[in-house]
Amino acid sequence: MASSSLKAVNISVEFSGLRALDDVTLTVDPEEIVGLIGPNGSGKTTLVNAITGEVPLVHGSVSLREEAITSLPPWKIALKGISRSFQIVRLFNNLTVIENIESASLAHGDSLRVARGKSERLLDEFGLSNRAEELGGALSYGDKRRVEIARALAADPSFLLLDEPAAGMNEAETDALLHTLSRIPRDRKLGLLIIDHDMSLIMRLCHRLHVLASGRTIAAGKADEIRRDPAVIEAYLGAKAAHA
Amino acid sequence: MKRNLLTFFILGGLILLAVVASQVVGIRLYDRVATNLCISLTLVLGLQVFMGNSGILSFAHIGFMGIGAYASALLTIPTMMKGMALPDLYPFLKDVQLSPYIAIAVSGLVAALVAAIVSYPLMRLSDAAAVITSFALLVVLHTVMTHWSALTNGPRTLFGVPKATDVKLAALVALLALVTALAFKESRTGKLLRASRDDERAAAAVGARIPQLRWRAFILAALFTGIGGALWGHFITSFSPRAFYLKETFLILSMLVIGGANTVTGAVIGTFIVTAAYESLRGIEGLLNEAKVSSQPVIGLTEIVLALAMMAILVLRPGGLFPTREIGALLARRFGRPEKSG
Repeated sequence: MASSSLKAVNISVEFSGLRALDDVTLTVDPEEIVGLIGPNGSGKTTLVNAITGEVPLVHGSVSLREEAITSLPPWKIALKGISRSFQIVRLFNNLTVIENIESASLAHGDSLRVARGKSERLLDEFGLSNRAEELGGALSYGDKRRVEIARALAADPSFLLLDEPAAGMNEAETDALLHTLSRIPRDRKLGLLIIDHDMSLIMRLCHRLHVLASGRTIAAGKADEIRRDPAVIEAYLGAKAAHA
Repeated sequence: MKRNLLTFFILGGLILLAVVASQVVGIRLYDRVATNLCISLTLVLGLQVFMGNSGILSFAHIGFMGIGAYASALLTIPTMMKGMALPDLYPFLKDVQLSPYIAIAVSGLVAALVAAIVSYPLMRLSDAAAVITSFALLVVLHTVMTHWSALTNGPRTLFGVPKATDVKLAALVALLALVTALAFKESRTGKLLRASRDDERAAAAVGARIPQLRWRAFILAALFTGIGGALWGHFITSFSPRAFYLKETFLILSMLVIGGANTVTGAVIGTFIVTAAYESLRGIEGLLNEAKVSSQPVIGLTEIVLALAMMAILVLRPGGLFPTREIGALLARRFGRPEKSG
């Protein structure tokens, strides 16, 4: 494995005695797109939260470029180069769109001028330039999603974790998002981990898939192989379909 | 940037206008009102720096006003008078006598230093816990002021503070506070702090070290609150610790909340409105008492009306009169062509 990867090794997480993640190991390499899929409640978001330091680990370790980042506070992990989006969009509602995006750049030590320039380019890239001075809270759902991704990118992360970026988007918006996301890893030299329920989006976008069910890894590998994996079919469609 | 300048010129112009008008009229009362207005502006803008940007309600600030007032008094009361005003004063302070202007600046620094030390462990708290601890801090500061007789003359009134604050000085400091509050809001710390106000988790996820950001704002707020307190001390010239407690806290908070804590515009407009209301209500109270409308004297009308106004604003317009955008940005959006870069 390349030493510049993001590695989560043997991760276990418990919520009041209930095991939400059980011994999950996941690696994301630079410039790679990994899809994290699984039924509701399988622990996908918890895994992202575990990597970004938002939930404590019972067991396991997280490392970035061979450096241990296990149980650092979220802001420190962010500064190490891991950006994320949230399942339910979390914008700064009373800040303007451009201020939302600037925040990540500023937190990483950019000057006001640099942050402004970077944010303007990102707004352009995401087709949001005419929204720059709107308040975050006043945007449509699809625009909020895009601002959140642009904000995450303003940190120039080496790894980007997106939690259901296409949720609530219509087909046209999803296609546009797919187009944008597919170019990001190579253009920006970052590794992308993406959670989504839209299987066609995931299949078209991802190089590798990682499948969780009830907090355990049930399959991991190339997208084509995963599609035919009986364990995955069973987890998604129930036992009947698997034997049919 | 242009919008912030516009905001500054409108609000600064408003302050200057009030001051000039008070001088043109030439009535002593108006001079006093204008000076009080400018001192309140300094206090409210100080509070806005912390509360507006961090989103955390702080009760503690009037405590720092007290620190500023007492610090400046100790540094300026003439040596001869100190023997009478503060019989138990520590010897090393007895011979200190600075110019009030220097003392006012130093007092701000003293308040900021105390704030830096006592607030550091509190800045990781949010929501109700943060509000309650700020109230506890006010109680601690008040208790210390009431009982540290050597420095404050205890609960008794401290006399002999030289008169140094006039309307010009107060206006100058208020304008300085205005520039600082606007600049802080647009600074890196200010922007990240406002991000954390809107969503703590998302702010941490972009890399904001929230307790550190809050701490900086708290110190800056205490600096201005301390200076405001010192200005007030040199205006009123005698005071006791009671001046720096709940009544003043409520007054300053109502100014900020009615105007809108999130914006500097709100802080300034709220101060104007509440000051105007406060002075006219006091006038009405006085008239009613003179006219002997009721057999009992009318007391507390001012406080009750202000409290009701605060409730009404919170119910009808929770963010205050200027909840999100500064006046400059509002005008630019309304009349100007869309400006691309702030």
